[in-house]
Amino acid sequence: MLRRPRKPRKTASADVQDHSLEQALEHSKDKLLGNELTSSERFFKELLGLNNDFVMRRFHVFGRYPAVMCYYANMVDQALINKDILKPFMYVPSHLEGKEFELGQLTEVLLNDAIYHSACKLERQLEALVNAILQGNTIVLVDGLYDAFLIDTRNIDKRSIDTPATEQVIRGPREGFIELLGTNISLLRYRLQTSDLRIRTMEIGRRTKSKVAVCYMEGITNPDLVAEVDKRLSKIDIDAVLDSGYLEQFIEDNHYSPFPQVQYMERPDKVAANLLEGRVAIMVDGSPMALVVPTVFNQFYQTVEDYTERFLLMSALRLARLIALMFSLVFPSLYVAIISFNPELIPTEFAVAVAGGRAGVPFPAIIEVLVIEISMEVLREATIRLPQQVGGALSIVGVLVVGQAAVSAGFASPITVVIIALTTIGSFATPAYNAALALRLLRFPLIIMAGIFGLYGVMIGLIVIANHILSLKSFGVPYMSPLVPGNFEGMKDTVVRFPFSLMRKRPSFLFPQDHTRISGQAVDEQADSKGSPLNPLKFKEERKDAEE
Amino acid sequence: MKDERQITAIQSAAILVSTIIGVGVLALPLFAVRAAESGAPLVTAVSVLLAFVGLAVISLLGMRFPKQSITQYSEDIIGKWLGRLGSALLIGYFAILSALTAREFGEVVITSVLTRTPLEVTVIVMLLLAALATRNSVTTFAYIHHFYFPLLLFPALLIVALSLKNADGLNLQPMWGNVSWTRPELWEGLLTITALFQGSFIMTLVIPAMRRPEKALTASAWGMLIAGGLYVTIVAATVGVFGSEEIKNLLWPTLELAKGTSLPANVLERLDAAFLAVWVTAVFTTLFSSYFFTIKEASKLFRLGDHKMFSFFLLPTVYVMAMLPRSILHMYEIIENVGRIGLILTIGYPMLLWMIALVRRKRGNR
Repeated sequence: MLRRPRKPRKTASADVQDHSLEQALEHSKDKLLGNELTSSERFFKELLGLNNDFVMRRFHVFGRYPAVMCYYANMVDQALINKDILKPFMYVPSHLEGKEFELGQLTEVLLNDAIYHSACKLERQLEALVNAILQGNTIVLVDGLYDAFLIDTRNIDKRSIDTPATEQVIRGPREGFIELLGTNISLLRYRLQTSDLRIRTMEIGRRTKSKVAVCYMEGITNPDLVAEVDKRLSKIDIDAVLDSGYLEQFIEDNHYSPFPQVQYMERPDKVAANLLEGRVAIMVDGSPMALVVPTVFNQFYQTVEDYTERFLLMSALRLARLIALMFSLVFPSLYVAIISFNPELIPTEFAVAVAGGRAGVPFPAIIEVLVIEISMEVLREATIRLPQQVGGALSIVGVLVVGQAAVSAGFASPITVVIIALTTIGSFATPAYNAALALRLLRFPLIIMAGIFGLYGVMIGLIVIANHILSLKSFGVPYMSPLVPGNFEGMKDTVVRFPFSLMRKRPSFLFPQDHTRISGQAVDEQADSKGSPLNPLKFKEERKDAEE
Repeated sequence: MKDERQITAIQSAAILVSTIIGVGVLALPLFAVRAAESGAPLVTAVSVLLAFVGLAVISLLGMRFPKQSITQYSEDIIGKWLGRLGSALLIGYFAILSALTAREFGEVVITSVLTRTPLEVTVIVMLLLAALATRNSVTTFAYIHHFYFPLLLFPALLIVALSLKNADGLNLQPMWGNVSWTRPELWEGLLTITALFQGSFIMTLVIPAMRRPEKALTASAWGMLIAGGLYVTIVAATVGVFGSEEIKNLLWPTLELAKGTSLPANVLERLDAAFLAVWVTAVFTTLFSSYFFTIKEASKLFRLGDHKMFSFFLLPTVYVMAMLPRSILHMYEIIENVGRIGLILTIGYPMLLWMIALVRRKRGNR
């Protein structure tokens, strides 16, 4: 067979259209800088010069050698460029004045004697130089040199460190992460001033090239876990990582489960505590939420305050939170089941009252509950989306007026409104928003099951949910740990938080390398040696002695 | 699927307890009273001992062959084809057991709670629930049992404790019962109650997945002690409350016991519907175990790596078997007969295997 000559695939016009930065970069991969200034200048001009905020400034190094400085005008610290880059490049340092340099000596002199900026290095890879400019750094090209000077001048406007919006506490630190990765790392380092805190960074996102930092404690975190996190992260191939939530959906174990298998947190102190337990934190540049793996179900009703406040009180509050969590899941379905199938369960007087309230309602209980539930979800969603000034007004209107009107219009019974209100409030009491969301969603199938099969249906639904939870794993850790499989050391920090003197070891379901959290010996010694310097008896006797 | 050896001794005891405690509890006092009248708790206790002998043999066999389940070591002990025949019978038997469990609970539900729901629906729902759960690994199987274990014990003990205020110690006397030793009903009843413990056969599947198979016997003893203790307690409480003559007229005396009790402070006026709702978990765990045994061993018999395929494949067969009994009375007749005959398979057959293994000095590699 004769082979026809192939047509050239790309036409000239397509070539022009495809002339994007990415492809140009791809083209220039592994290419090095030449020593001719004009050609290098042309390269950068063609690549980046179309942008109005790209600045190329020509000048002469030490008044002799032509040079060009490139940067993005809005990402750099202008004063720093003038003072710490332009000036030392232009003037010969005072202690070398009058001396003559060859071109070959110029790099050395500039780097060692002239530039007084700590983050300055030499670079000759074109791709690295372009990326540096894109990140907000400045490069200086000098005619005749094969290396360009790469100087860190990045200066991005950021919001100030604020109280974390999603995790408020009454007692505890008030700092929250912000968007900039560097600031977040500094917040974390400030809390963990130890050489064991390891932070590894990588870039994810073909176009955004977002910096991702994996943080863990050397000597505590199991190295296999760190390796697995690295592996899962490195397999991600996506064009953009705009928030840590993008990563979460790639590294979680079961994508179809409603339950979150990765916990996010906004508080540096919480992240530090989790790192110390042997977990791994993942932070993304541009996201104020750090991801923490592995995650177990217990974490969803625990807060930072549980540890800052005394154990007895916080254990009771934890119990309340757990009850709220369960309430938000089963309360409406139990109501539907009892009202429509087993009214004999509730005391007679109450049953009569409920029946009286429902007398004018034309729908069966399941329809009534579903309608009110859905309108509650709509109200909640509306309150979140509306601007703050309007939101407050709407929630009052929604809850009071609509609820009251629905009852008096005979659309819903007062008991239903009470039940739904309690359920909604219960779901707000859950500290973890993503877990509350899962239970909020699962409430609807449960209500439907209750409407069809009564209590039997509710149990079937709960068993399906429980079986699913029990089959979930987060990085190999069973989701219900330390309850199932039983782990005594871990159980000290589930519903009841034991006093610190009893929680001497780290939870072993994370298989930390170092188990000891609190030195048992010190605790015992401290308990023995507590003196009472202000014992009134002592003073009484002293006074007696003085009087005598 | 690679071998998982993660199940602890506590978990295996929990598996035993939650497998044994099931829908049988509802009719248990009736069987016991029919056999020995006021000696019902004693008869139950003897049955527990008898069942424990069977379980002990299974555990010993399992400890002798710690890496294999019964379908695998039976081939080693009595030869390929005989072993396969025995395994096929066992698998079939557990399929029937699953079917009967689903049917029995379906009957309970439509009789006492959902009176207008067709039987087919409740049976299918139960079977689907079990089939869905069997798609998990052995480790998850153990987790599920471990999780539900306290949820089974607590309501049963609560009912017993609350019913004590209505109980009369005289009902339990004479302790030996008023029946003669030669009465055939006594022996039949003894075997029927022993058959209620047949779920413990699941141990043969659990041992190969245990982290330390040498602890199997201890786990079995604990499992049997807890489950048996609960059964004896429930029979004693029921007989104490109703008396043996009254119980003979009740189909599900345990459910009647729940009906008669109420929580203090009148939180819930009647407990039977709530008890039944909680009892769904107990029935689920039993059904889950027997169905899991069926499909897991079937996949081993056919040398399949994955058991998930069978979980829905066998479902129609089990469903048809569940719908075979014509009425509730017919069903109980079948349950009693099948249970007694099944003892040959679940106690006799392992005992035979064990003795042959001893004689032939067969031993699994550790």
